[in-house]
Amino acid sequence: MLRKRGKNNGCCFADKVRNCLSRGRCKGLIGPLSERATTGRVKVCKVTGDRKICARMASMGLYPGVEADVICSETGQRCLLKVNGGTISLDADVSDNILVTSL
Amino acid sequence: MALAGNPNAGKTTLFNQLTGARQHVGNYPGITVDHKEGFFHHKNQKITLTDLPGTYSMTAYSAEELVTRDYLVNERPQVVINIVDASNLERNLYLTCQLLELGVPLVIALNMMDVAKDRGIEIKAEVLEKLLQVPVVPIIARSGFGREELLDACIRLTTKEQQWNPRDISYGEDLDTTLTSLVAKIEETALLRDCYPARYTAIKYLENDEQILEKGQQADPDTARILEEIVAGTSAHTQKTFDVYPEALIADHRYGYIKSILRQGVITHTFDTDRLYTSDKIDKVLTNRLVGPAIMLLILFGVYQFTFSWSELPVIWLENVFGWLGNQVDNRLPDGLLKSMIISGVIDGVGGVLGFVPLIMFMFFSIAILEDSGYLARVAFMMDRVFRIFGLHGSSVMPFIVSGGIAGGCAVPGVMATRTLRSPKERMATLLTVPFMNCGAKLPVLALLIGAFFSDNKARYMFLFTMLAWVVALVAAKILRSTVLRGAPTPFVMELPPYRFPTLRGLLIHTWERTYQYIKKAGTVILGISILLWALMTFPGLPDGKTAFFEQQREALMATATTAVAAEIQATDGELSEQAAILSQQIAQINNAENEARLQNSIAGKFGSSLEPLTRLAGFEWRTNIALIGGFAAKEVIVSTLGTAYSMGETNDGESESLGKRLKNDNAWNRVVAVAALVFIMFYAPCFVTVVCIAKESSWKWAFFSITFNTVFAFIMAVVIYQVGMFFNLG
Repeated sequence: MLRKRGKNNGCCFADKVRNCLSRGRCKGLIGPLSERATTGRVKVCKVTGDRKICARMASMGLYPGVEADVICSETGQRCLLKVNGGTISLDADVSDNILVTSL
Repeated sequence: MALAGNPNAGKTTLFNQLTGARQHVGNYPGITVDHKEGFFHHKNQKITLTDLPGTYSMTAYSAEELVTRDYLVNERPQVVINIVDASNLERNLYLTCQLLELGVPLVIALNMMDVAKDRGIEIKAEVLEKLLQVPVVPIIARSGFGREELLDACIRLTTKEQQWNPRDISYGEDLDTTLTSLVAKIEETALLRDCYPARYTAIKYLENDEQILEKGQQADPDTARILEEIVAGTSAHTQKTFDVYPEALIADHRYGYIKSILRQGVITHTFDTDRLYTSDKIDKVLTNRLVGPAIMLLILFGVYQFTFSWSELPVIWLENVFGWLGNQVDNRLPDGLLKSMIISGVIDGVGGVLGFVPLIMFMFFSIAILEDSGYLARVAFMMDRVFRIFGLHGSSVMPFIVSGGIAGGCAVPGVMATRTLRSPKERMATLLTVPFMNCGAKLPVLALLIGAFFSDNKARYMFLFTMLAWVVALVAAKILRSTVLRGAPTPFVMELPPYRFPTLRGLLIHTWERTYQYIKKAGTVILGISILLWALMTFPGLPDGKTAFFEQQREALMATATTAVAAEIQATDGELSEQAAILSQQIAQINNAENEARLQNSIAGKFGSSLEPLTRLAGFEWRTNIALIGGFAAKEVIVSTLGTAYSMGETNDGESESLGKRLKNDNAWNRVVAVAALVFIMFYAPCFVTVVCIAKESSWKWAFFSITFNTVFAFIMAVVIYQVGMFFNLG
C-alpha cells in the first residue's frame, strides 16, 4: 500500500512557509522524501510500500539508517538522491514511501 | 568464466578489454540485457568469457537478475569475476555477498581504483582478500591496468577443486532460527538441491523470491507448503516486532556484514567523502526543474540539427550514386521487364533504404554522445513526468524526437532508438506510436497538399500538423497502454551514471555497430518487399489491344509533324522549337494516359479500385488509393504516384506545384478531402522499412498489428473529418 500524501508530519504552518522559502526543513522530523522542498543531507528512517520495491531500494543502497544527499528536489514529484557515491533517481510514488529526516 | 557486477561497474569495458570484442558499452544502466560471449587466450589456455547483465542483487526482482542467476546455476562457470566499483564499494559488495552465499568460485576485480583515489578513498585489496577469503585484484578496466594479475588469479582458481563453497552470513537470532529449520527441511527432502545450496534456497524463501517459490511448488508441493508456512510465521513475527518484512532485515544484516568487513582497515578516507562531486554539481543545474528542461530542449534541438543538417550532403551523394547506377542500367539494358525490375524494384528500393544510412549514422553518433556522457539518463528522468501521463516512460522522448517530433525525422532510427527502454510494455507502446510523427518522407506530401489547399497559411498549418502528430501519438500510446498493452507503469527507479567524457573510439564503435545492424537487417528483407511492390504496380500490364491503341495515337501524332520536327523530338537533347515542344507535350500526355491506364490495370490499381466503395467514406477515389498503397513502400512515393495517377507523369519538387494545382482543380478533391488525406497519410501504416524494423525489434505479430492498428485508426479519423467537414459544407 502506498502512503497517502499531505500529512502534517509535525510541521507547523511557519515551518511549511520556511520550507517553501528553502530556509527551514523541520529538522528532526520524519517525513516522506517526496515532501522535501530543499536539497541537502538526509537520513533514511524507513522504506515502506511494495515489497519488491523495498528490496530493490535496499539492493541499490537505500535502506533504513543510510545517509544520503538530496541533489534535486521537486516537492511531490521526483528527486535525485546521492547514496554512497551513486546517484539514484526516484519517481513520486517511490519517494513518497521513503521516510527521511534532515541532518 | 563469467563476468558479474552492478550496472556501470565497468563489466562490459573489462569484457572488451579481455576479449577484444567490440560490444556496446553504455552509461545507460544495464545496457546489456542478454549475456554475451567472447573468447581469448591467456598463457596458452583458451578462455570463454560471458558478460552477464548488470544487477544489484540476485533475487528475482528483474529480468536481468533472473538471467544472471539462471546462468550461474545452470551453466556453472569455472570462475565468476565479480567486478566491483571501488568508488562505491559498500553497495557493490551487496551483490558480492549474494554470490558468496550461492558459493560460486569467485574472483573480485576491484575496478575504478583511479576514481576511488581521486575521491579520497584508499582501499587495501589484500586486507579485503583476507577477510572475504576470495582473491581480490585491483584493476582499471579502461586502461587495462591489472589485467594480467586478474587472469592469473582466475587461472589459479580453476586449478583448485571445483566444489562450490557457500558462505554463511548471520541474519540475527530470529531469522537464523527460521533458516535452521528451513535448511533442515530442505536437506531432508533435497528440495532444489540439484541447483541451489540448501541455505541459499532457505534465504530466498525468506526473501519471497517468486522464481524459487514457484520452482519449489513444482518440485515438491508438500515440502514447499511447509516451508511457506514457516516463512509466513516468521514474516508475521518480523512485521509485528520490527514492522518490516524479512527481506528488509536480511538486507540490513548484509550491509552490517559489509560494514564490519570494511571497518577492519579495508577502506580509509583521506578527505571528506560527503562532498558533492563535479557530476552532482552539474546535475544541480541540468536537472533543475526550471533550467533543466530549457537546456534539454536546446540539446535535443542541437541533436536534431546535427543529425538532419550534417547528414544532408552524404544523403545527396548516396542518392546521386544510386541515380548514376540507375542511369547506367537504363542506358545499357534493353527496355523490358528486367530493366524495369532492376531500376524500380532493386535500385530504387534498396537505394531508398541505403539512402537512410548517413542519417542513421549521424543519429546514432548523437545518441552515443548523449548516452556515453550520461546525459540521456537525465533526459529520461526529466521527461518521465510528462510521458507517464500517457503510459510511457521518460526514455521514450528520444525515439519520438528522432522519428520526427520536430518535423523531418525518420521512424526507422526512431524505432531502433526504443532499445534504450527497459520495460517491455512501455517500449512496445513507444515503438508502435513513433511512426505517427511527421518523418522527412511525409514532408513533401504535407508540402504538396498544404501548398495546394491552404497556401495562405502554409507555416501555420505545418506547425499545426506537427502538433497534431504529437497529440495523436501520445493519445494512441494512452489507448494502447489502456487496452492491449495494459499494465502498471514501471516505477522510475534508476541509477544515473556519473558524467563522463565519451572517447572518440567508443563513439565510433557504437555508431558503426548499430549502423551495421541496420544495413544488415534492413538490407535483406527490404530487397524482397521492394520487388514485390514493384510487381504489384507493374503486373499484369496493359492488354495488347490497349497498348496498340496508345501506340497508334503516338504514331498518328508523329505523322502530322514535319520531318524536321520529328527529328528534333527523336534527338532528345538540345532546345526544342515551339512546334516540337507542343508535339512533345502531346506525346507526354499520351504516355501519361498510358501509364495511368497501366497503373489502373495493375494488381495495385485493381485493389485501389476495389477499395473505392469503402474509401469514398473518407473522400478518397481509386487514384488516391493507389498512391496510398504506393506510400507503403515509402511515403515520398505518394507524391510521384499521385502524379502518375492524375496523368502528370513523374513529378519532382519543381513540378509538385503543378500537381497541387491539378489536384485543386480536380472534382474529387477539396479542402476537406485534403485534410482527410493529410491525416490519413500522417497516421496510416508505417512504410515497409519501418515495419521491417518493428518486426526485427519485436516480432512480425506486432509489425502486422502496427499496420492494421495505424490504418484503422487513421481511416476512422479521416472518415470523421470528411463526413463532418462535408456536413458543414467546409469543402
